[in-house]
Amino acid sequence: MNLILSDRALPVPEICRASSEFFDLSQMRIAHCLGCFGCWVRTPGRCVIRDDAVRIYPRIAASRKLLCVSRIWCGSYDLPMKTMLERAIPVQQAFIRLWHGETHHLQRNPLPKQALILGYGDISAGEQDIFRQLVSRNAHNMNFEEYRIVFTSEEELEMTFQKEAIAWANS
Amino acid sequence: MGELLILNGSPRAPRSNSRQYALLFAKSYPQAVETFAVGQCRPWDLCRAMEDCSDLLLVFPLYADGLPSPLMGFLQELEKDPPHNRPVISILINCGFLEPEQNDTAIRILRRFCQKNGYPLGSILKIGGGEAILSTPFRFLAKREIRQLAKSIHRRSYGTFQVTMPLSKQMFLRASSRYWENCGKRNGLTREQMSAPQIENESPPPQ
Repeated sequence: MNLILSDRALPVPEICRASSEFFDLSQMRIAHCLGCFGCWVRTPGRCVIRDDAVRIYPRIAASRKLLCVSRIWCGSYDLPMKTMLERAIPVQQAFIRLWHGETHHLQRNPLPKQALILGYGDISAGEQDIFRQLVSRNAHNMNFEEYRIVFTSEEELEMTFQKEAIAWANS
Repeated sequence: MGELLILNGSPRAPRSNSRQYALLFAKSYPQAVETFAVGQCRPWDLCRAMEDCSDLLLVFPLYADGLPSPLMGFLQELEKDPPHNRPVISILINCGFLEPEQNDTAIRILRRFCQKNGYPLGSILKIGGGEAILSTPFRFLAKREIRQLAKSIHRRSYGTFQVTMPLSKQMFLRASSRYWENCGKRNGLTREQMSAPQIENESPPPQ
């Protein structure tokens, strides 16, 4: 199954509907991570906070294709997506491995992914550069085999999403 | 003017390593400091206190390669309702990984926040192995760099510092495994149980 996470409602193209699950994070109840590490050292793979995030992070692990749509703030994902990504740490283990020469957490067993990140808003060139660095860092921890980043304005988001989502579904 | 405020940006502020780092900093800083914690004060409270301070130190852990979302939310509130006086913002960031450079993206995000909102950026201390360093014999190294950070802010001679445990990567992997295994053991879990592939009790999909 493919997964689309978005921080706002978007019309999902017909071609994506059968093969993808769509979550509009703005309509979900997702608290921030407490940093308790319970999902590593008390109830491995399971978050202590029983809100909507517990429906999503298993889907992140199980997806082969992931499309994230997020407003960009200062070169970072804006709050809804950032909060969700932080809540996805049950996908990882506490234990650390060497990965591309750096220390990173072991993965619990998520599928390798092709990811498309659609960042929108009024994004300066500098912010785009920071965001590229952020996604490349996240790629190590989210098992991205390949990823692509597309930036667009808020006004053009729906149109860009339609075009990119169709190409993503067909890839 | 001249006062320094600390904002603890850890989501587990009262029981956080960031709190320990903030306490060590306060001990090293020659003047009194006032400490706030995200989640325990309103942005408005900090905003009011910022009117009379010259420096603000943000102390926080790396979360998913960026700022912890409660700290982001706090800064976004500050963007909407900014103080008239913009203090110099310094950063004390820690990550659980050996390489302090893994904090660099979060620092770039904060640098951009400062640039966008008219806050001068001051000193930066990046800590690697930050989850454990204070409970190891290398605690003195962290304390030494925190003293350097404090001195640089107090003298207005801002700089960038970093510290980590002086271990090879292989030694760090072994030490971190022991650290986490002990955390699991306290909850009656073995390493195998902690490494279970199930997520929310779902078996892993076929690779």
